[in-house]
Amino acid sequence: MILRTTAELINLHTIRHFIEDNALRLAADENTAYDLAHAVDECATNIIEHGYRGRSGTIEVEIDRVGDDMQIVLRDHAPLFDPTGVPPPDLTLPLERREPGGLGIYLARRMVDECRYQALADGNELTLIKHVKSTRPQL
Amino acid sequence: MNITIDQSAAHAGAAVLRLHGDLDGSNYLELIAAAKTAQQGGAKRLLVDLGNVPYMSSAGLVALHSSVLLFEGKQPPDPAAGWSTLKSVALNTGGKAQQLVKLLNPQPRVARTLEMSGMNVFFEIFTEEAAALASF
Repeated sequence: MILRTTAELINLHTIRHFIEDNALRLAADENTAYDLAHAVDECATNIIEHGYRGRSGTIEVEIDRVGDDMQIVLRDHAPLFDPTGVPPPDLTLPLERREPGGLGIYLARRMVDECRYQALADGNELTLIKHVKSTRPQL
Repeated sequence: MNITIDQSAAHAGAAVLRLHGDLDGSNYLELIAAAKTAQQGGAKRLLVDLGNVPYMSSAGLVALHSSVLLFEGKQPPDPAAGWSTLKSVALNTGGKAQQLVKLLNPQPRVARTLEMSGMNVFFEIFTEEAAALASF
């Protein structure tokens, strides 16, 4: 299933529900579906705020199940940016010495099992993978 | 998201912000604006009721952080200057929870987001409104 939408913050709600509904349809459990929707929200927010920076553009979100994995691919046409290259925050530091910047990417990476980036000729492709715990057959 | 500002005298200088709906990048500025309205209305402390917030992204964490700065008497960065500016403000609590902005009843998934980000250390979290208000 693919959702194409304009890169606007007002569409975050639609993107989250697209992911959550389809993850459940593909037999992910509720917690997995929620985590995937949260991870995609953070990545999409990052694309809109840091990628397009107020310019018009599109985001494409594709969700599928591959064996025991839920696989989500985000594509955009913003300038190249590899979020997997952002170093994780140093969690050994006391809170007051941590920088909140990069929090969204950090949370997104915590919500999934794998995160892969590929630069495209005209944009970015980010693949998020989460191992699935399913208790019922796919609809 | 809908926000109600409860600034009744019974709260002894504390305003309660009651949030309803998802808190994300599309509406986190509304929370900062409501905190500012409460402060301009005379509130010295803030209780944020998250009991009806089923989802909160990192944008919500930024809004909570900015609310603390506001009640510390600091000027939060101009939201129009950009997301990155808001996020670049360093926390300065000496490793302890600050006492100006407290949280009420975050749902388990929202509480998990607070914990994963380490922000739970920054905020006192209550399950009873009366106890939260009495703690100010």
